[in-house]
Order: sequence, then C-alpha cells, then structure tokens
Amino acid sequence: MVNITIDEKKVQVPEGTTVLRAAEQAEIHIPTLCDHPALTPFGGCRLCLVEVQGARTLQTSCTLPVTENMVVTTDNDRIREARKFVLTLLFSERNHFCPYCQVSGGDCELQNAAYEQDMTHWPLQPNWKTFDVDASHEYFILEQSRCILCRRCVRACGELVGNFTLGVEERGADSSIVADLGTPLGESSCISCGVCVQVCPTGALIDRRSAYLGHDVELDKTETICVGCSVGCGIEVYSRDNHLVRIEGNWDATVNRGVLCKTGRYLPLDAENQDRVYTPMVRKDGKLKAATWNDAIKTIADQFKKSPKSAAMVPTRLPAESLHLFKQLFKDQLQAATVTSIEEGLNTKLPTQLAAELGSPFEGALEEIEKSDCVLVLGADLAKDHEVVGFFIKRILPLGMELIWAGSDNNAFEQQAHQVLKPKAESYADLLQALNAALVDKPCAEFAKNAGVEESAVKKAAQMLSKANFPAIVYGEDLLKNASMNTLKALVELGHLSGTIGEQRNALVSVKGKANSMAAAQYGLDQPFNISDEQAVFIALGDDCPSQKLIKRLEKAPFLVVQASYSSQLTAQADVVLPVENWAEQDGSYLNLEGQLQNAVKSMPAPEGVLSNAAVFEKLAAALGYKLDSTGWKDNLLKQIPVSAILD
Amino acid sequence: MTFFRSHILVSIDPECQAKGAYQIIDALNDELVAQGLIGEVQVLETSRIGDPAAYGPDIMVYPEGVHYVKLTKDDIHNLVKEHFLKGRAVEKFLVEQAAKSDDELGPPKPKEVRVVLRNCGVIDPCNIEDYIAVDGYMALAKSISELTPEEVIDTVLKSGLRGRGGAGFPTGRKWQFASGSKGSPKYIICNADEGDPGAFMNRRVLESDPHAVIEGMAIAAYAIGSSQGYIYCRAEYPEAVRTLRIAIKQAREFGLLGSNILGSDFSFDLEVRMGAGAFVCGEETALMASIEGKRGEPRTRPPFPAVKGLWNQPTNINNVETYATVPQVILKGAEWFASMGTEHSKGTKTFALAGDVNNTGLIEVPMGITLREIIFEVGGGIKNGKNFKAIQTGGPMGGCLPASDLDLPVDYESLSQAGSMMGSGGMIVMDEETCMVDIARFFMEFTQEESCGKCVPCRVGTRRLLEILTDICDGKGKAGDIETLEMLCKQIKQDSLCGLGQGAPNPVESTLKHFRDEYEAHIFEKRCPAKVCRAMIRYEILEDACTGCTVCARNCPVDAITGERRQTHTIDPDMCVRCGICLQVCNFNAVTIN
Ligand SMILES: Cc1cc2nc3c(=O)[nH]c(=O)nc-3n(C[C@H](O)[C@H](O)[C@H](O)COP(=O)(O)O)c2cc1C
Ligand code: SF4
Ligand code: SF4
Ligand code: SF4
Ligand code: FES
Repeated sequence: MVNITIDEKKVQVPEGTTVLRAAEQAEIHIPTLCDHPALTPFGGCRLCLVEVQGARTLQTSCTLPVTENMVVTTDNDRIREARKFVLTLLFSERNHFCPYCQVSGGDCELQNAAYEQDMTHWPLQPNWKTFDVDASHEYFILEQSRCILCRRCVRACGELVGNFTLGVEERGADSSIVADLGTPLGESSCISCGVCVQVCPTGALIDRRSAYLGHDVELDKTETICVGCSVGCGIEVYSRDNHLVRIEGNWDATVNRGVLCKTGRYLPLDAENQDRVYTPMVRKDGKLKAATWNDAIKTIADQFKKSPKSAAMVPTRLPAESLHLFKQLFKDQLQAATVTSIEEGLNTKLPTQLAAELGSPFEGALEEIEKSDCVLVLGADLAKDHEVVGFFIKRILPLGMELIWAGSDNNAFEQQAHQVLKPKAESYADLLQALNAALVDKPCAEFAKNAGVEESAVKKAAQMLSKANFPAIVYGEDLLKNASMNTLKALVELGHLSGTIGEQRNALVSVKGKANSMAAAQYGLDQPFNISDEQAVFIALGDDCPSQKLIKRLEKAPFLVVQASYSSQLTAQADVVLPVENWAEQDGSYLNLEGQLQNAVKSMPAPEGVLSNAAVFEKLAAALGYKLDSTGWKDNLLKQIPVSAILD
Repeated sequence: MTFFRSHILVSIDPECQAKGAYQIIDALNDELVAQGLIGEVQVLETSRIGDPAAYGPDIMVYPEGVHYVKLTKDDIHNLVKEHFLKGRAVEKFLVEQAAKSDDELGPPKPKEVRVVLRNCGVIDPCNIEDYIAVDGYMALAKSISELTPEEVIDTVLKSGLRGRGGAGFPTGRKWQFASGSKGSPKYIICNADEGDPGAFMNRRVLESDPHAVIEGMAIAAYAIGSSQGYIYCRAEYPEAVRTLRIAIKQAREFGLLGSNILGSDFSFDLEVRMGAGAFVCGEETALMASIEGKRGEPRTRPPFPAVKGLWNQPTNINNVETYATVPQVILKGAEWFASMGTEHSKGTKTFALAGDVNNTGLIEVPMGITLREIIFEVGGGIKNGKNFKAIQTGGPMGGCLPASDLDLPVDYESLSQAGSMMGSGGMIVMDEETCMVDIARFFMEFTQEESCGKCVPCRVGTRRLLEILTDICDGKGKAGDIETLEMLCKQIKQDSLCGLGQGAPNPVESTLKHFRDEYEAHIFEKRCPAKVCRAMIRYEILEDACTGCTVCARNCPVDAITGERRQTHTIDPDMCVRCGICLQVCNFNAVTIN
C-alpha cells in the first residue's frame, strides 16, 4: 500500500494506482475528458491536471501513478487556469455550438466540464473548419465537428472489442477519427457493437435511434441483463414514457464489464419495429378474430383435452420460472408426446448427460479466457453468436495470445488465427483424437486424415497448446451438432491433456445457445421436435422470431396455438394467438453459460391486456384442471449442470 | 613464419568484384612474382575500403596506409614497380584531393576541440580496422575486462557527461536508474532520429565514425545489463543506415558484438530500425512506440524508460553523440573529460552552424565557450559585413537570443535561463535583415505541423499561435494579440504532454521578450522594420537613380511598372505583388523597399 495526501486528505491505495483513482477513493472530484475507467490511461486532454509537490510542471492525474508520501493539490488558481485553457482550446478547435446540450448542460461531458469550470464564453475566437458527417452506418453517426479527439472510441474498439476498426488519421491539428484508414463506417470492418458510441463523451458518435430523444435525466434507467444469448451480459435499459430508447452495457456487470454486441445493443431496438399482438385471437370461419382471454384459453383447453397426441415447444429465451411452469404443464401434467425447446437440446443435452455421468461439472468460467495465452476455438462461430466471448479473445490477441481456430465454416476469426484446422463435416471426433494423440506424442496421421486435416497442422496446434501456460478451449454448436458422447469425452480428455482443465483452473467453456439454453436442458426440454400425427401443437414463441424451418414444420399442424409478442408468419398460421410480454416487460431468472444465476428485471410495463408467459401457462393449467408449482424451479435447475453454478 | 614488409588489401566488395577486383589480385600476384617481391609483399582480400561506386576497385597498402583507387589490371605493373621497387607513391591513383574536400566539416577552426568528431573524415568508416587502429574498442575491452558495471557507471557519472539529445540529463544517472531497475530483458536504444531542420551532427558521426556509437552502446549495455540494442535512425539517412549496417556486420565478425564478446560472458547485439519520418518520433517515448510498431506518439512519464521502456522493459535511451563520447570518457578517464567545459556542463558539444555567418557547417567546441566566440571566431563573423541581430539555438523549440546575450557561455543552464536551450545542437545566426516576427512564425509553422495531435494544448494551441502570428505578418494584427500570444505560450508550455509542446512556444516567447518593438510595429504601425513581411512593404523607384533603362518594366510579371525610355519609372503599389524581381534586375540600385 502507498500513502499519499490529496488536498490535505490522507489516502492509502495499492501500488500502481493512479492519482485520479486515489482521489476518487477519497471522494475528491477531478474533472476528466479522455479518461475512462475501462480504458488504459491516455493523458491527452490535460483536463485532469493537478499539482504535485516537488514537480516542476502540472501532472495529469489520470496517468500518474502514486508514490509514497506524494502530496497532491487538485484545485488552485494555477490548476483552474490550466483547465479553463484546455477547454478554451477545445471550444476553439471544432464546432461545439450544439444547442442540444449547450443550453441545458446535458449528457455532453465537454459542455458539462465547461459549466463546472464556470465558463461563460469562449475566450478564443473559434476558427472552425467544416467536416463531413459520416452517416453511412446503420446504427450510428460520426459527426467530426463535435469530436475532441479524446480517442476513447479508438481505445474501446481496440482494447475492449479487439476489432481495431477505429484509428486516427493524419497528425496534429489535422488529426481525425477514421474507420479502416478512411473507409465510411458503414462499409468498414465495424461489427456494430456500439461500444465506441457508449464511451464517446460528446455528441461525435451518436446513436441514430436515441439521439435527441432526451437527456439522461429525462430517461428511466433499469439495470438488467441481455437475453440475446447465453452469455447474459449486464445491460442498462433506457426508456422514456414506456418506450425503449437505448441499451447500454453495464460497466459494473462481472460477465461483460461494459461491452455489448450488436445483438444485445441494437437488435432489441430493431425488434420494436415489428407489429405487436395486443389481444388474444381465435380462428373463426378461417379468419383470426379478436377474442377474450377466457374464450381463447377455453378453445385451447378443449382442443388439448380431446387430442390424443399433442406437442409443445418453448424458446430458450424465457425466464427459468416460465420454463419450469411450461415443463410442468405440458410434460408432467398433460404428458404431451413432445415437449421441448426450440433449441431441441442441441447445445446442452450431451454436456448435461456427461455431467451426470461424471457426477461433477467439467466446464469452467468465462473469465479464464482472458487469462489465457493460447485459445482453441472449436466449432463456435463467435463472429455471429456469443460475440462478447469473441471480444474477450480478440482483445487479448495483441498481448501475444495464440489463437487456434477449428471449424468447418468460413469465419471472421479464421484470418486472425495463428493456426487453422478445418475438419470435414461430422469429423470433430477424429480431429479431437488427432490432437489428443499429438499431445502425448503418439502417431496422429490416421486421425488427421480421417478429419481431413493436415497432420502438420494438428501437430502445430498441439504444440501451441502444450507450450501454453494457460490454455483455454471454447466450443460450440458446430461441434455438438453431430457429436456423440465419445466426441465430448475426447474433448474433455483434450482439456486434461492440454492443461485446460487442471487442479487450479478450468478454462473449458461452451458457449451454449440462447439465454436460458442450460436451464431448458435441466428441465428436460431437450428432445428433438419431430411431429407427425400430433393433433394439437402449442408454440410458446414469446418475443422470439420464428425460423423459416419452424414455420414450415408447423404448416400441417391441425390445431396450432402461438403465444407471441409480435405478429409473424407463424401467428398468421395459428388457430389461436395469445399476446405475451417481451423481454423488457418481464422479470425472471437466467442461468448463463458459466452457471451464473442472474436476474432479468422488468424495465417497462406490458401493454394492457398482454400477459406474462408464466401467467398464460397458469391460466391454461387452471382451465385444464391442473395445479402448477411456482416455487420449485430452482431446485430442479441446478442438479446436474456441466459447470459449477455461481449463485449470489 | 614469413615476415612481410608490406600488405596490400584489395577490396572485394561486390561492386569492386564486378569492376574486376579479382583480376587486380591476380595481376598483383603475377607482378610480385615477376618483380621478385612475392616473399616481401602479401596480397590480402578485404570487404571494403572506400566507396566502391566512386573508387572501386581500390586497394590499401599498409603500413603506409596509402589508398589507390580506380585501378585496372593494366595499371598494376607500373604501380608495383613504382611503389614497391622504387618506393614512391603513384600520384595518379591516389584519391583525388577534390573528393576529400568536405563542405560539412572543414579542418578545425580556431577554438574548436574535436572529441566526437575526431575520426570524422580521418578514418574509413567502412573499415573496422581503421577504427581499431585509433584505439577503437579499447574502451569496451577495458570495461569488460577491468571494470565492473558499477565502475563504468561511476566513471561516466564523474565525467559529468550529460545527454546530447536535448534535455541534458546526466548520462551516468540515467544508466544508474536503468541498471537498478528490475526486469529482464533490458534494452539499449540509440536515438538517431535527428529531426531538427538543418541539423546533421548525428548523421555525420554515423556516416563517418559508426563504430564509436556502437562501442558506446556496448559499454552502456555492459553497464546496465542489457544484451539487445536498437539504433533508431531517421529514414532520410540512407547512407548512415548503410554505414551502420556494415559496421555492425564487421563488429560481429570481429567478435565485438554478439555472444561472449571478447571471450567474456557479456553478450550484446544490435539492430538498426528506420524512423517513421515524423519529428516527434525523436521524443523517446514516441520513438519506442514506433519501434513497437505503434503510432509514434509520446506518452506521459513516469514511468520513465529506465523503468518501463521498450515493450515495457527497462530501457536506456541516449543520443548518438552521447554514445559516441562514452568510449573516450572510459579510455581517457573522467578527469580528462571533466577538465573541459563549465561546472555543470562538461566536455565538448557539436553544433550545426547555419544562417548568416561566414563559416557554416559542423563544429565542435568546448562547453562554456561564448556565443560571441562561436559566431565571430569559429564562424568567422556575419556574412557580407552585416550586423548581428539574433542567434537561435536548440532547434525548432529553441529561443532567439539578441546581441546582449552574446557573451553568454554555451552551457545547459545558461541557455535555458536565457529562454533558449542547448537542444541537440542547431544554431542559426541571423543578421540585421531578419524579421523576428517572421522567424517566430516560421518556427511555429514547423512545430504545429509536427505536433502529433495527442494532447490538446499542443495540437490546438500551436495552431492558434500560428494563426495569430500569420495575421500579424500579413498586416492583420490587432490590439490584444500580444497578450493572447503570451497567454497561449505560457499555458502551452505548462500543460503540454511532451517536450514538443512544452518547447514550441520558445521562439515566440523569446522574440516577444527581446524584440517586442518589432511585434508592435507590425501590429500598430503596420510596418515590418526588417522589410521582410510582404504585406507591409512597398517597392519604390528612386527618381535620382533611375536611368529609364526599362529593364524592370520588362521583367515585372504583373506589368506594375510604367515609364518611358530614359524617363523615371514608377511602380503601381496596388498592382505590385512584391515579388522583388525589379530590385534584383535593376543595375542602378534604383529600386528600394519602404
Ligand atoms: C519533439 C522531440 C524531438 C526529439 N528529437 C530527438 C532527436 O531527434 N534525437 C535525440 O537524440 N533526442 C531527441 N529528443 C530527446 C529525446 O526525447 C531524449 O531526451 C534523448 O534521446 C535522450 O538522450 P540523451 O540523454 O543522450 O540526450 C527529442 C525530444 C522531443 C520532445
Ligand atoms: S468520436 Fe468521441 S470518443 Fe472518439 S475521439 Fe471523438 S470525442 Fe472522443
Ligand atoms: S453476447 Fe449475448 S448476452 Fe452479450 S450482448 Fe451479445 S447477445 Fe447479449
Ligand atoms: S506536446 Fe504535442 S507532440 Fe507532445 S504529445 Fe502533445 S500533441 Fe503530441
Ligand atoms: S483525463 Fe487525464 S489527460 Fe484527459
């Protein structure tokens, strides 16, 4: 620990702490612009200048590490003059005459800093140049005139996302932020994760959708989690008058520490453009007509009672509580022939069985990935799904991490990999055996040949894994698609042989499927959905989008119930449609890919007449004369999961 | 063992080979046999002697050290007969005197003391044996075999040697920090970025005495415990890079670089890295970022390079001249070095003397010499008998000192107290016809162009300074400008991240201090006293002197001059673009500037 004095307050902080963080700890405010707690210190804006006893010049507190007995002053005439000067220059550099925040002191950190320094005018005559506005991107706009070149966006894109799309062109007063050395954002390598927009202190990078829809003080904010996939990133939902305005990553969430992917940040806003279902509907004379809840539920109950064979399906996006009710209703009570989830157990069935067989979990925690020096990605398309896991990998690549990529599809990760393995379809088992053989110096040529992979490539990959001190393995859907228990066992063996699974750590991670993929498997909602002569089918679609495959499969269903938030081709096909809440309107529990049981919090009320998924299940159960237990969901959830559950 | 009275070294550089080096060797051997000298004179091959493009194929005869150039095999018969039988050098094949003349570095002028430049133009930079012959690598041998790393550092400390790259930090102290810093590996970097416009001291040393730099770096490596070094050389110096590469190769061949140097367990090797072409890359942290392949931008210190430098490892970075001085400090001793210079600035310093002075070029003088001595004795006084006005020292971030500072001793403290600095050694002398506002604008143009853009005060502040200075020179200055300039200067100096921003206002501040009246004349009287700023001058024709020859009217590009033959001509001030052609072409000195 190091002892320092800031404004006559004594503070004790760990070695390596910056003066700025130490001041925060002592509850002393120092203004900043280029600093961001999630990014490496930059020291460019010079707003955070402080006086350090014994130092000739003012020092930037955001970059200065504390030293024993350091004496710091954060506010005096000299410092205030310097801060005002810096702001004066910034206001003279580009056009910050922005009525939106200027007159009100809104969300712009530049304007706010100026208010804080009691600035009333621009002491230096502005000499503005004009700049192009880059409005080529689907989700956000880059307005160079408002940019203060703090490079938070550049650092976030590189350090947090590992995408390195944003950079700086030219130097000195001609510097500007560019994508891919000067490509319009919309045509660049940008993956639309929006982290740059989230860190931009001014209105230079603004969200198309939420810009000018209200300053933060006018918005309601709810901390919850993203249900876009099994990662379960922490988010903050901003809404106004019950309308979704913006989603931001939660910097304090342990899972994602602030970052989000496009699926988490922007797709829920796109979803708002769909037509909402507001009232139950029942097909009469070939047409869907509005009905009361009672009529609709009664129609369904009657049909299911008289159908000898029925089926029910639920998305893995629903809270565990709802899934558990669904399972009780259709599986335990109604004993329908097929009761499953839309994922059909693809990502979770085998791992769950293996965990049962082993009697213990065999997968590890997400945070291990970032501590790794070699990562093997096996059949997981991290550029498409579970993107944040991909960020964790990409962002440590520049630190010297080695990436082995194995998959049968083309993938954006392939270009960055140090070693690529492309097994033939359905031959991951051979590939795994080849790797295992190579790791113990046994011949691997035969296996490699069966897998359709060069022997030298297998050997190289094995070498990289065994050389690594902290290897990690991330596996996913492409591997599990055609896997047998033996494939999975070979994977676990690879984990042990390579040191990925060890006494001290376990860095074998499966990305699984949608948000409650693992919970669905625990409730046994993991069978294949093969319907043939089922007379009644219940699809609890929720706010999910039905796939063309699903729509096709249900074309011939004699009686189809679709419980959905939005109209779709599937609801058009249904005999009864039940309106339900979407993700933002419901509370509930989610078990993420590493076994964290998280809570989704309702951020907006549902429209009138729209019920929760759970309420619909309860209503239907009552009509059928069943009683459901709404308390036991947790006990059934954590019995045999492939990871060690983390509850808090 | 046969004893040879003479050795002939023949350059077998690829270019010399192409020009027939092996035919020369055969012819030499044949002639030596024919003339009965084969037992007395031995023919040897060597990698390179002089510049093969200019001199190849060439040979060197030892012990006389005679260099014969541009030979053909038909010349050999005569050459052997004259040189070895008759004992006289053959003038015809000697390096021509003209090629030896050097407009960068002449023979030492009065008051010069050559320590760093002692070998420049004297030895062959591409021949390590030449360097060894003048005690080269003796200091390294002495360090490794007789001194502990602590003793090496101690010697450098006692000598009082300070960094020659700009800031003048005591070199021994820097080495001490790097040596005491935990972490491995450690790196040694030589800063050869030399971006100051007009400066070429470092280039000259690299091109003429590369081994001195290599030896200095090896000694530093031994002192701090490093085994890998980098020379970051400005990309505009291809010749220096080439010479360095040859020198490194030769040093490796001689076991002076590489593993187990001179049979000890000390190992050290070197690599040359080309600069990224920006002035700011000479700043040490930007330089290291550039070596790492990142955008060449400075970062805040601490941590200092000695603690976290290249790739976050402890690193020692010094300038070319600093390293080149080290071997002699070790060899001749700290006392010898400390006997030159002033109390706090020891030894000698090289300068690139430029501007309105009679002897421009490279000079090396003992610290503490006065500016007056440099200008009027070493530099031979102001050109064309004009009067001295100011001297700008320290490169683009240095200040302009007036005549009243002429007796200032040249040392780190005196120069910075006077509002300028030592810098890496640029010196520009200005005569009475220089406009100091224009000069300030000129330097500001350079620094604002070279600002990396990372920090606000430098990126925006220098631009604002330049705009105001340009306005003043354009006759658009207004009341309050001087105060704004002063405010900007003060804050940019105080708030900027690196030395560029912290130093950029110096030319403005110093001219404001010493030549404020010139600024006032520009702003309030719209007059440029030195008659330089175009917007404020008028070309006029003196009635008495004009003969009406019409030459000015015929040459004026905008036809602003009218007048009949043999009548006085006149210039229309509204049409005149102030190009000055009339002044140049008039044979009767009838054109004047007002
Ligand atoms: C903008 C800027 C440019 C610099 N350029 C050079 C340079 O070209 N060569 C150099 O040796 N030092 C240069 N320096 C100084 C270096 O940062 C550093 O102080 C020096 O290399 C240390 O070596 P020394 O201790 O031997 O002087 C520059 C500094 C700044 C701020
Ligand atoms: S766009 Fe925003 S985050 Fe990026 S440099 Fe400009 S002001 Fe900073
Ligand atoms: S990775 Fe998954 S949980 Fe995280 S933001 Fe993207 S979709 Fe949401
Ligand atoms: S002072 Fe100038 S050159 Fe140095 S970091 Fe700041 S902007 Fe870059
Ligand atoms: S916040 Fe410290 S320099 Fe910008």
